Amino acid sequence: MELTRRAFLQASALAFAGSMAYELSTQSKAFGIESSEEDWKLVNTDEYTNICCYCSGGCGVICSVRDGELINLEGDPDHPINEGCLCPKGAAMFQLRNIVDDKTGEIVHNPNRITKPLVRRAGKSDWEDISWDDAIAEIARHVKTTRDENFVEVEDGVTVNYTPAIGSMGGSQQNSEEEYLILKLMRQIGVIGIDNQARV
Amino acid sequence: MTEQAILFDSSRCSGCKACQVACKTWNSLPSPLEKNSQEWNGSLQCPPDLGSNTRLIITFNEGDNGKKYGVNWAFGRRSCMHCTNAACVNVCPSGCLYHDEYGMVTYDAEKCIGCQYCRSACPFDVPRHKGSDDILGGSVVINKCTGCPDRVAHGRKPACVTTCQPGALDFGDRDDMIAIAEERVALLHKKGFDKARVYGKDEMDGCHVIYVLKYGIEQYELPENPKIMGSVNASSKVMKPLTALGFVAVIAGLAVCYISGIGYHRDTMRYDEKKHDVIDVDTGEVIKHIDKEAGER
Amino acid sequence: MTGHYCDFKNADVILTCGSNNLENHPVSSKWVQRALDKGATWIVVDPRFTRTAAQADIYCPIRSGTDIAFYGGLINYIIENDLWQHEYVLNYTNASYLINPDYNFDVSTGLFSGWDPTTKKYDTTTWGYQTESESTWDTSSTGTYSWVSQEGVPEFTPPTLKTPKKDPTLEDPNCVWQIMKNHYSRYTIDKVCEVCGMDPDTLELVYKTYASTGDPAKSGTILYALGQTQHHYGSENTRIMCMVQLLLGNAGMAGGGVNALRGEPNVQGATDMAMMVYDLPGYLHWPTVASTPTLRAWCEHETYSDGYYTNKPKFMVSFLKEWFGDNATVGNDYGYDWLPKVPKNGDDYTTIGTFELMNKDIMKGYFAWGQNPAASDPNTSFNRRAMAHLDWLVVADWTETATATFWKAPDMDASQINTEVYFLPAALIYEKSGTILNSGRWLQWRQKAVEPVDQAKPDYEMCDLLYRAIADLYRKEGGKCSEQILNTKWDYYVDGKIDPRPVSWALNGYNVEGTDFSKGKVSLLNGFANLKADGSTANGIWIYGGYYNNSDAPLDPAQQPVGRRGHDDPGNLGLYPKWAFSWPANRRIIYNRASADLRGQPWNEDKMLVKWDGSKWVTNDVPDFAANKTNADGTTEPIPPNNKAFFMKWEQNANLMTTGMKDAPLPEFYEPFESPVKNTLNGSQNSPMIKYAENESVKKGDASQYPIVATTYSITEHWQTGAQTRMCPALDEIAPQQFIEMSEELAAEKGIKNNDDVRVFNNRGSVKVKALVTKRIRPFTINGQTVHQIGMIHHWDWTNMFSTGDVVNDLTPNVGDPNSYIPEYKAFLVDVEKA
Repeated sequence: MELTRRAFLQASALAFAGSMAYELSTQSKAFGIESSEEDWKLVNTDEYTNICCYCSGGCGVICSVRDGELINLEGDPDHPINEGCLCPKGAAMFQLRNIVDDKTGEIVHNPNRITKPLVRRAGKSDWEDISWDDAIAEIARHVKTTRDENFVEVEDGVTVNYTPAIGSMGGSQQNSEEEYLILKLMRQIGVIGIDNQARV
Repeated sequence: MTEQAILFDSSRCSGCKACQVACKTWNSLPSPLEKNSQEWNGSLQCPPDLGSNTRLIITFNEGDNGKKYGVNWAFGRRSCMHCTNAACVNVCPSGCLYHDEYGMVTYDAEKCIGCQYCRSACPFDVPRHKGSDDILGGSVVINKCTGCPDRVAHGRKPACVTTCQPGALDFGDRDDMIAIAEERVALLHKKGFDKARVYGKDEMDGCHVIYVLKYGIEQYELPENPKIMGSVNASSKVMKPLTALGFVAVIAGLAVCYISGIGYHRDTMRYDEKKHDVIDVDTGEVIKHIDKEAGER
Repeated sequence: MTGHYCDFKNADVILTCGSNNLENHPVSSKWVQRALDKGATWIVVDPRFTRTAAQADIYCPIRSGTDIAFYGGLINYIIENDLWQHEYVLNYTNASYLINPDYNFDVSTGLFSGWDPTTKKYDTTTWGYQTESESTWDTSSTGTYSWVSQEGVPEFTPPTLKTPKKDPTLEDPNCVWQIMKNHYSRYTIDKVCEVCGMDPDTLELVYKTYASTGDPAKSGTILYALGQTQHHYGSENTRIMCMVQLLLGNAGMAGGGVNALRGEPNVQGATDMAMMVYDLPGYLHWPTVASTPTLRAWCEHETYSDGYYTNKPKFMVSFLKEWFGDNATVGNDYGYDWLPKVPKNGDDYTTIGTFELMNKDIMKGYFAWGQNPAASDPNTSFNRRAMAHLDWLVVADWTETATATFWKAPDMDASQINTEVYFLPAALIYEKSGTILNSGRWLQWRQKAVEPVDQAKPDYEMCDLLYRAIADLYRKEGGKCSEQILNTKWDYYVDGKIDPRPVSWALNGYNVEGTDFSKGKVSLLNGFANLKADGSTANGIWIYGGYYNNSDAPLDPAQQPVGRRGHDDPGNLGLYPKWAFSWPANRRIIYNRASADLRGQPWNEDKMLVKWDGSKWVTNDVPDFAANKTNADGTTEPIPPNNKAFFMKWEQNANLMTTGMKDAPLPEFYEPFESPVKNTLNGSQNSPMIKYAENESVKKGDASQYPIVATTYSITEHWQTGAQTRMCPALDEIAPQQFIEMSEELAAEKGIKNNDDVRVFNNRGSVKVKALVTKRIRPFTINGQTVHQIGMIHHWDWTNMFSTGDVVNDLTPNVGDPNSYIPEYKAFLVDVEKA
């Protein structure tokens, strides 16, 4: 069988009704299958669709994955906006996770990325390791202390319930569902100082 | 199999260099990792030239436009031209370099003996070698554009072409690419770009990279009449059998070619990016030191 | 954007002004090229001859910060030469509306009527309309607004519709048309050239070419970005572009519109989601102490008297139902009191003000979610010192950003800084799933491809961990207003694990009955038209209604509108209605009613979006107007064409003049905060309402010390502070160095050669960068005086293991716009010397 789908529409796609079944047939052939050559870079890869993380053009990308590791990332040829193309930043998105070691030629996880929680204690000049559990517990305690010590319940006779002492910056990098959770997390502890990269 | 070609339309190129990045990522070519080690030479053209792990660069050249504002900003492409009469293939003593079924010049790296004569013979100064001035170390092995035969064999276009947002790059039957290029040049002439022309159609008996040049050729780091060096042409016939005689004999043969090389040769000089020296390829002499401190380019 | 990327191909003229779209939105090149291939003309107006300008048909230079002079001149040119689209302007805009006779603009002071010198604010009463008649809502059981009287709807007094007086002849001296015409009569070609610095021939060519789109059949598009918005009058810059598009009949057309090329991957989503002090999701307003202290006050203050925003109480009550769940009832005003209210000094809580609050030890804790203010905000050296006052800081990111390591900055002494800093490692975009929006308002689903490396986690999981830990503390220990926290609905789990898909249900909206998140059961709403004000529906953001509405497969995004991958293209206009989902209601081009004349006939059949065929509407796009009405018996019938082309305004006509802005009813030119020249268009050097200019930290510089105009911008090879792109070696290789671009003339004056190290400095800071000397930058002649300008890229700081540099934002002024609070990054003063 010639598979013409991105992994986006996996097995469940077979149950699609009407117009959605049509959409399947309009998709181009997947990159990673139909090759008996073992040296084909994308042999036996699964494909996942994603959207570029830079300028807000919304370009589609295909992530090719084998054995749980990212093998390749390039433009989604079926995407109506970018039609498979990517700018230099988009074309380099693979390197956010994996890069070529210039000494060995091996592909390794990007060493510039931080992948475990860290804490910097007062007056110290470097980071210390911390577990997720401890980091979350300490932050929650900080939030409670700061909020309870700096909380306005009534102002000008109006119930206001806000804290001037905590601020939150960000959201333009996250997915919309995450933006909602960040907003909800911050507003429900009474934060007024919310802003995002819309302006910076 | 019909001959294929890459089309580069400089009048559509936006100089974004996505092609350079796509080439690196698809082919798993490393970039320098040492902090702030990449040199910058006062231009958006970066790296300044092809390198042992850089098969493609976009060139930037600012020409006078004769108007009150702006410049004729030429975005060019510097990579293998995939010539029909390819000096590198002709001269390669080990049979490493060859034309594939689409007419693109590719190579079998296993066969490379690291003699680097292909670079010297190339009228475009294209082939580079890993391990020469290299971060990867190891033996000296050719590294240049292959036309991504693995992608083409799987019905995809070369990595640089696939990624090009403005549609400056295309890939397909060579005749079709030439037709598109000629039509585009006619349009550019109509728009007042008098010097616009097609390049690569007839050069080197026909390249498998076809350029649409928007401005004069002098803005594109390209030779006006690239020539196969007579001696190379003649010697290649002699050279091939020599390979069987072994390495020493090959090198001896190469020396003859070096000395007798004539005609246009873009780069009889080599630029040492670290020391900023211009070096004669033949003699190894430093011809000129570029004083970067004084702003010399 | 009112349109979307693929729509650029339908333009006859493209005007790039305030953006560098080929470099910073490279995918735009594809669609601009398609327009050019069909014969379109492309104009680029930019202080620098950019890679974008290199491809354009016409290039026109402009001094940074003078866009209102440029567009004011265009408006004057359009009016003087009678190039405006008459039928469109007369019927679809407020040109004929009569304004309060007390309205006035005083050129000698640069002030509009209503200025209060004590509060330094405008009373906008005199900018408003004269009233013809008044009418009230019919809320009886058969009335249009019967829903107001239904059980469960919060009590409020509906607004009164004040129908404005009009003069369709446009001759009344108080009509908007005459006021606008008079206002811009000062903006002559010679005047504009004197202020902006181009020559008259080039300017006139630009004006003539762009004004040609006043032909009803033609459309022109304006592509702008932060070059327009990052000024202390950035919002007025944006408004004046809208005015031009209305005068030429380009708003609502395929190939037309006002198109912001947004700079962050999901900044569209973040603005939609109201990640700002005064906003509530879906462009509603967050409760404030001053105007909306109660739910009743909110409904009365916010609800429009006519048009689609008569429905606002439905959106608000549904929002509260989703926020507080079962805890929200009509009896407790749906929990309204638990929402924090923005105090009167709310402006102090926006980005620039936040750092002043830290400096004053008012703000003590700070979260940075993928944001890097220690390098990206204006006047960053001040910001870093302010951050040192924080008790604690939490940074969720991929790398050690400047914000996470502000205490390691070269100018900081870590031993003196007591801030406790937590770094939470975040998953990459392809290590998690969820929805992202592009500039064209398309909601698209991202699929998780791989597990996060090591201990990295998606931001949604971090939020959940934090919510549960904080709620636990309040549950166990009590504390200030703990009900604010504990009454919040937080049940977005699948199989006991936090998951973005139930959040999608919340954002799409659902019927309260038949929904129980804890059981994985949801009755999704078809769209926002189903929202009710009686507590029976819940929705996190009304404009997303319909993006995730298939209740048969609530856990499969591929079977939701957001996951669609169809390529249908009705009308061959690149609308792609079956690809993903576009808010609102899958409309691809907003204001599309204005693409047809008063009788509903398209101005251009080849660009048909909607058309009245005599008995019904035929559509290629989803109508952005009331196309059908539902009768009392539940049947629907088409509404024949009328002039209500902009139904998100209460007038249902677009506003050439407005009371909606704080700083002007008509955009007026002022000089940047720091400028080497005097304002010659009116008597006020800066906008009288400039924000934060009096803060001590700003340290204004003047031209005698710092004579050179600087502007900051991005290059195509890097992005923002470089935290992401400098971690990609292939990008460091193609763009390894921070540089400034400067003219040969300035370089000669300063003894600087190409590739030299140079120092750029002002009162706020000093940075060392490389010089790129080029003919692409030329000095300007302004009011007869030579003005040099340099351009600075801003992608570096001290962090990163591959590539580092100085922080250019140490130089930018932390002043801003009174409407949007955006900083003025694009025009300020510096001096340059060889380092």
